[in-house]
Amino acid sequence: MPHLLELVDISKSFGGTHALKSVSISLQAGKLHAIVGENGAGKSTLIKTIMGVHQPDAGQMFVEGEPVKIANPSVARKLGFSAVFQDPLTYPHLSVLENIFLTDPILNKMGNLDFAAMERKIKPYCEQLGFDVKLLHREIRTLRLGHRQLVTILKALVEDARLIIFDEPTAILSAGEIDHLFKIIDYLKKNNRAVVYISHRLEELMRIADEATILTDGRTVGHRTKEELSIDDLLTKMSGKDMRDYQPDVRLSKPDGSRQPVVEVKQLGKQGQFENIDMQIWPGEVLGVYGQVGAGRSEVALSMFGMRAADRGEVWIEGRKVKIKHPKDAISKGIGYLPEDRKSQGVFSFQSISNNLISVVFRKLRGPLFSLNRRKTNELMEKYQKILSIKYGAPSDPISSLSGGNQQKVVLGRWMAEDLKLLILDEPTQGVDVMTKRQIHDLIKSLAAEGLAVLVISSDLPELLSVSSRILVMNRGRIVAEYDETQDDLAQKLLSSAVGIGGK
Amino acid sequence: MKSFGKSLNQYLALIILIVIVVVGANMLYPGATSIDNIYSMSTFGVEIGLIALGMTLIIMAGGGGIDLSVGAIYALTQIIAAYLMAEGVNMWAAVGIAILSGVFMGFVNGYMVTKLRIPAIIATLATMYVFNGLALLISNGVNIAGMPEEFAIFGQGVMFGNIPFQFIAIYLPALIIIGYLLSRSLFGYQLYLTGTNDASAKLAGINTDRVRLITYMLTGLLCAIAGIIGSSRLLTARPDAGDIMNLQAVTIAVLGGASIFGGRGTVIGTFLSTIVITLLAYICNLININAVMQTGAIGIILIVITLGQNNFGGLKRLKSVFLARKAV
Amino acid sequence: MSQTTAATRSGSMESLKHSFLMKYEFILFVLIALIVLFLSITTDGNFWNQGNLSSVLVSVSIVSIAAVGATLVIITSGIDISAGSVLGLTATVVALGGQHGLPLWLIIVSALATGCIAGFINGYLIAVHKVPAIIVTLGTLSIWRSAVFMLLGGSWGTDIPMEFSEWFIMTKLAGVPLIFWLVIVLVLVSGYMMNNRKWGRYIYALGNNEEATVFAGLPTKRLLVFIYVIAGLLVAVSALVSLGQSPIVQSSSGQGFELSVIAAVVIGGASISGGRGSIMGAFLGAILVELVRNAVILLHIQPFWTGVVMGVMIIIAVLVSLSRDKGGAN
Repeated sequence: MPHLLELVDISKSFGGTHALKSVSISLQAGKLHAIVGENGAGKSTLIKTIMGVHQPDAGQMFVEGEPVKIANPSVARKLGFSAVFQDPLTYPHLSVLENIFLTDPILNKMGNLDFAAMERKIKPYCEQLGFDVKLLHREIRTLRLGHRQLVTILKALVEDARLIIFDEPTAILSAGEIDHLFKIIDYLKKNNRAVVYISHRLEELMRIADEATILTDGRTVGHRTKEELSIDDLLTKMSGKDMRDYQPDVRLSKPDGSRQPVVEVKQLGKQGQFENIDMQIWPGEVLGVYGQVGAGRSEVALSMFGMRAADRGEVWIEGRKVKIKHPKDAISKGIGYLPEDRKSQGVFSFQSISNNLISVVFRKLRGPLFSLNRRKTNELMEKYQKILSIKYGAPSDPISSLSGGNQQKVVLGRWMAEDLKLLILDEPTQGVDVMTKRQIHDLIKSLAAEGLAVLVISSDLPELLSVSSRILVMNRGRIVAEYDETQDDLAQKLLSSAVGIGGK
Repeated sequence: MKSFGKSLNQYLALIILIVIVVVGANMLYPGATSIDNIYSMSTFGVEIGLIALGMTLIIMAGGGGIDLSVGAIYALTQIIAAYLMAEGVNMWAAVGIAILSGVFMGFVNGYMVTKLRIPAIIATLATMYVFNGLALLISNGVNIAGMPEEFAIFGQGVMFGNIPFQFIAIYLPALIIIGYLLSRSLFGYQLYLTGTNDASAKLAGINTDRVRLITYMLTGLLCAIAGIIGSSRLLTARPDAGDIMNLQAVTIAVLGGASIFGGRGTVIGTFLSTIVITLLAYICNLININAVMQTGAIGIILIVITLGQNNFGGLKRLKSVFLARKAV
Repeated sequence: MSQTTAATRSGSMESLKHSFLMKYEFILFVLIALIVLFLSITTDGNFWNQGNLSSVLVSVSIVSIAAVGATLVIITSGIDISAGSVLGLTATVVALGGQHGLPLWLIIVSALATGCIAGFINGYLIAVHKVPAIIVTLGTLSIWRSAVFMLLGGSWGTDIPMEFSEWFIMTKLAGVPLIFWLVIVLVLVSGYMMNNRKWGRYIYALGNNEEATVFAGLPTKRLLVFIYVIAGLLVAVSALVSLGQSPIVQSSSGQGFELSVIAAVVIGGASISGGRGSIMGAFLGAILVELVRNAVILLHIQPFWTGVVMGVMIIIAVLVSLSRDKGGAN
């Protein structure tokens, strides 16, 4: 009997990045197929391809043996594919029932919406899922995230989905809710639906997976059946062959305790995002923060930087407590932040390169009459062009004319010109070519050598290993491990901590 | 600071437009653009020109910024000044108070938009109602005259021969100051960045709320100055003055290159498009086309321009604006 | 509105408690009752005199009809400030038809067609060409106003065969003009349809999350155009009714009408950023607005206070709406 969905040699690229390289995977009804991999391994691209959001550049897809082209999400839905994303596309002011039945409402004889019939239809599923029927009529925005997730599952059930994809579903759930979810998944499997489960929480996978495919760098590097599954094995596969051969310039060291930490974070917490964050960063140190997507690293950084206020906790700079309510407070106190998403948060796309470069220090480039001094701007431009070896035509060219790597250099340069005590870099080499990557790493090291404290948030393990002097690992909003000594199998250990296994 | 080559293209289009209008006008009505007529045009062109400058800044600051109450501020401030003067208050004091009140009105708008987070359209729609109502209240629904003779200088004075006072002494300096502000000053720099990408600007430490608040206050100031000039020109303050100024101001700003999505626009562009619109208005007057018809034509221009903007990359920017909002 | 109907649908008291909207419309209702009470007392019952009451109810009807369409537009995060000009244009078309002695049915059809076409132009530019609604309607506001001027040739239109319209106004059922009863029916029916027909829910969905509706394969663009056409059509109907009240057309006819309509919708609880709003609320908002207008006249307050009060009411309504958006969120 042919499998429900089969992907053969699927490849997909975006611009210069190869997200998927000849991926083959086969999904069966009644089984849970886990997809495992690090950040950026290609998991979400794979899912979006199945759901019709992206179309593959090469390869084929077969549904029950028949070749298909999934040209858009509607086609995917008609095929019976359904996805439970972390951020479900819902209609906040509509009721739960309306959200579920919006695209396929039940009508009565007069052509009106038959809410009673809809309720009747969904009730058994609600019971199966343990979803309180009374919630059906509430506006969905009043529901907790965990319940909203249940609504998405209800929708999949009502639409009689044959294939249900879960994308990191447990990130937002409490332990009790997770058990509940697994019971639901069991129920789905018994009902002969195929379940695809993406997660980096390896112990969870041990509980529920019937088979697993491991993705690394857009390639399938392994396939395991339930009997073959073991955490160590998965970890090895995930970190990839190159990881073991990779000899990073690892120089972890304990900080110089005789000096005062530049920045100290005490018990920082924000409901639903992170808690009990205690961190100290010393001058001249490169503190790496590792973790999977959703671990809460950027949220902590944004909080420290004043973009999003924390609920509790304190930030101390050079021994004094500070109140940071807006990024400009953070900057004036000497903290800089390179955003995770260059396109939407870092760059001013159609503005000139020089305008982008001076976007933090511009206050210091004051000329007469509140003006922005041209000469000083040009000098700065030239200085950093040399230091960072940025390749461009003219300073007045729009920044969008630069390659990703050069754009990142400009955004980096923006901070270097400022007098900082701590520079937070969030995924500093994302979407950047190999050579620029190396340059940025060298830059980080030299900045630290000059006495700057650098916090590097990254999902790129080799990167962290090559620049950091200490590494913290975050998982589920908490710091779960700290590594300040070079040791064997450091990469493995970091990975384990990040996926929630073991600790320091 | 902006790429020079690009701006030339933009300005070129406007300059060509001006040439076309001038040529066409002279064909329809010989002597349409005689020096005297030009002086005449500038007497009232200055008012909408000032207001359009303010509107340009607001639109450029992005975030859906717009000000539908400009006409109402124009009317209310002139009523306030006239009322005070009619009550015997010293002219300069009256003018000063009126102008300050305009700044305050701008502040109210800006506060609602930035601190109370009321969408600009509805906030300024509401203040339009309120300011218009206040103007009618204070004036009792009738025009106010009775200003001292010296008051005429603002709107009727001449300098260097026959060049209108308001053009030389008020509009040109305003153009220079605001032009400088926008293209050379630290504030202008922050304005461009705020309009280009609100999230990135905040992350660079720019106080985007304050930038926008200032644009509204500046606009209030400019509307007030325009109101003084307007009432001086006719030596009468009318509570219903400024009805069509909203449309004209927005059209001029957009025609001059300000993008509704923020981050783009120049003072020169607004200046040139002010000339275009003012020319059109004046010529329509000469060949006896009613003011109402003019506004219809301006409406068409507005839509056509925005369509053009959209079809050339506007959509991409719209997407990035929304993405930025989602992220932070 | 989803809450109100959800409550009545399931009938459980439980859901009623959760219905924020239900509470809000109730507050409006209470406010209206209070104002009516206040006016009855302070005007020695003059409020209730036939002439005044009829006039208020007819004005409410005129605004409400257009407000139904405006509610749909605002729910989808749009706005239409050209309503006043469309009103004027429609009235002008009627006047011209009357002048040329066209048969009544043709005049009415032309009037309604005018509204539909104006609405279509708005909707097309907004939905298909993605021109911001404020810009489009700012433009069409002037364009139609010019058209009115051009067609009227600067004079007034008086040959208006609006006897049938007058009939709706003059005929009374239980002392209340027939048109008002019809409007109540319109409000109830359209409100019902918004809650109980799938297209009604699609409109709400559009306003809540346009991206999701596109993703789900709903005919978003067509729906948007349709909404603006309906809005235009209803403005045309308002125009026909208003001609029954005062059968004169001038080039300034309808000026400012859109403000009353938008005020009614916003005060009625719609969120200006879309996703939430109710036709019943807009109706109550229209009553509130007209009551305030009437109060100003009856109490001999300077008429200029109307604008100020209107503006303040809008601001308060928006602030309340914003705080409701915050509450109840996760």
